[in-house]
Amino acid sequence: MDRMQRTTIAGLAIVACVAIVAAAETKKEFRFSVNGRANVSVDTPYGTVTVKPGVANQVLVTAILASDRVELDNGQKGNRIELESHLLKGGDEQSGRVDYELTVPPDTTVSLRSTAGPSLSVERLRGDLRLEGATAKVDVRNCSYGHVHIRTMNGPITLTQVKNAHVEVTSISGDIHLNSVDGQLVQVGTTSGRIFYDGDFGLAGDYTFTTHSGDIEALIPGGTSADFNAHSVQGHVQSDISLSPKEHPMFPAELGRSFFGTMGKAASEVVFKSFSGRIRLKHADKTN
Amino acid sequence: MNCTDVRRVLPEVMDSAQDTEFQAHLKSCPHCSELVADLEWIASEARLLAEADEPPARVWVRIAAELKAEGLIHEAEVPRLRPVLVPQRRRWSAWWLVPVAAALLAAGSYVINRRAEQPVASNTVSKPETPQVAVATPPANQPASQPVPKPARKASSPQVVSDVPSIEADTLDDQQLMQEVSTRAPHMRASYENDLRSVNAYIRDAEAYLQQHPGDEEARQHLMDAYEQKAFLYQMALQQAQ
Amino acid sequence: MGSVRPQRVQRKDFDAASEPVAAGKGDLTDPKPKSISEAEAIERAKQGDEAAFEVLYHLHKRRVYSLCLRMLSNPTQAEDLAQEAFLQLFRKIGTFRGESAFSTWLHRMTVNVVLMHLRKKGLPLVSLEETIETDEETQKKELGGEDVKLTGSIDRLQLQRAIEKLPPGYKTVFILHDIEGFEHNEIAEMVGCSIGNSKSQLHKARLKLRDALKFMRAEKAGT
Repeated sequence: MDRMQRTTIAGLAIVACVAIVAAAETKKEFRFSVNGRANVSVDTPYGTVTVKPGVANQVLVTAILASDRVELDNGQKGNRIELESHLLKGGDEQSGRVDYELTVPPDTTVSLRSTAGPSLSVERLRGDLRLEGATAKVDVRNCSYGHVHIRTMNGPITLTQVKNAHVEVTSISGDIHLNSVDGQLVQVGTTSGRIFYDGDFGLAGDYTFTTHSGDIEALIPGGTSADFNAHSVQGHVQSDISLSPKEHPMFPAELGRSFFGTMGKAASEVVFKSFSGRIRLKHADKTN
Repeated sequence: MNCTDVRRVLPEVMDSAQDTEFQAHLKSCPHCSELVADLEWIASEARLLAEADEPPARVWVRIAAELKAEGLIHEAEVPRLRPVLVPQRRRWSAWWLVPVAAALLAAGSYVINRRAEQPVASNTVSKPETPQVAVATPPANQPASQPVPKPARKASSPQVVSDVPSIEADTLDDQQLMQEVSTRAPHMRASYENDLRSVNAYIRDAEAYLQQHPGDEEARQHLMDAYEQKAFLYQMALQQAQ
Repeated sequence: MGSVRPQRVQRKDFDAASEPVAAGKGDLTDPKPKSISEAEAIERAKQGDEAAFEVLYHLHKRRVYSLCLRMLSNPTQAEDLAQEAFLQLFRKIGTFRGESAFSTWLHRMTVNVVLMHLRKKGLPLVSLEETIETDEETQKKELGGEDVKLTGSIDRLQLQRAIEKLPPGYKTVFILHDIEGFEHNEIAEMVGCSIGNSKSQLHKARLKLRDALKFMRAEKAGT
């Protein structure tokens, strides 16, 4: 078979595949009217979910289904809207993918679950958020005043500009990045994932960061007002910031394994705990 | 067709069906024919570069390692080792994951509270795995498993702690968890395996530490956190199974 | 006159392993490795046979790696992406039904891996700046200069060097068309440009290479 024939056959095969894929992919759009605070949940094994604020009283959903091997169910009961995609026979992570884009009223309560992702992202909402995934990457930005609960197995988690919130974030081995996150309660825990905090711990909050073997690093600006307690059972602990001594530390003093002290008026309480991970407190403006 | 025309149409006609006017011009114009010959030569020589380079041997080594880690390569004719403590094979459906997840949390609380009340007894460490179960065996490079400058850890043995029988069942449950994941979501197997290894290491370390510091609140909290993480892993597997 | 384009170099015969397969299990551990067809290797690989994976790897490794190396001009990155392309293929091998050639499937997957990598790095696949040069300017280049045939005076290493130095957009189209054998409609779909743009970029790439090779030859001759 000469080159021309082989190329023609390969080309036809590719064009046919592209046509089949394009034909199989479908787009669905839904519009839900709500009256009052909405509650939206999305559950998909594969696919991205993006949620942004839109007009009040309306939830708009655009879903792109990769093939006919996946089905999307949707339902509304009052202000509660549920979207769920599930695989049909023969569906897999490619053909079973559904990508969602939602715009919701800003005070909507949002629950997202995606097993393999690739991603869940929410921005500029004020309501409660519950995000859960196995390997999905989670990104939350500019969401304030609500309860934010996030859990992944090993998907990385990033929170940016989440203010005045109640935050609980857990991952087994995914890294967790918190940039300008503060609130009354911030609890972050991993087994082997790393935790990075970049912020000033707000005013009058309780912050707890716990790992088994993951490292914990906090970058804080001058002017931070917090009471720090840090302890690692087996890992190295270091504070680059000079802290004022305090009388009743949470952990016993152990060189290289704990530090404690206050900055400013000690408005927030911050606890770093690790079993074998390293803990480090650094100046935000003197990073190396 | 003149030289300017030839240059203009060259991108279109060069690789496609021959244009008679184009061909006629080339026959009469050495300038254009040299240009076309050069461009054709470049194209033909380029094709020979398609397989010009050999990757280093380490590429295959890395691929093979990854395939093994993801369970895509099966060891042929190696009998699957069963834990000796299992008297008979049980058939499971995915719903067992629910009570197991709850039991993990309950057992964790029980262990934590018992240890806080009792002095350290000799040789009653119960580990949630046996050496035969590959998933639960800590890999050598886990930092928490390294020797630490503290009193030596008591030798582990797969003894059943009679007052907490559910701890022993974790071994079988971990195996069944991985079997479920391998069946229903094989592409997630490596993820679950790695995370299961991590949380089991956490539980082991926290248990050992609590045993040595029975009144230590921090140790108790670590152990509770470890069990919660494992329970979460089981919950995710349940969602995968549904 | 007007030569027909040279025949494409024939792919290696899939009925014979091109080089000895590393010791593994089963039939492939013979001191003189028994030949195994690609189809048989695929079926065995679906069952998780390590030796079968290795056969498929050795059959296609040069093609995959060369493509990555040509596109990236960086051996370390080329190794990483070649590894990634094979891993993606092997993960999905259970879904291969033989509707198209295995090599086509792998080839396409490799190109996608490389293009995705370039996109993630923000590197241009088809450079807009390069298309700004008008046809008139291109023609002036073509008409000027000494015309002496290149054939026979340039070796393959010099051609490789010249390809490496092409601007990114020209290089992408040239590699995909002239080295890898994709058609313009396929290239247009992969890199996100028009078919006309693909043809134009290819033509300009070849002209640039011609200039570069002539310069190299002149340097070599000491002129």
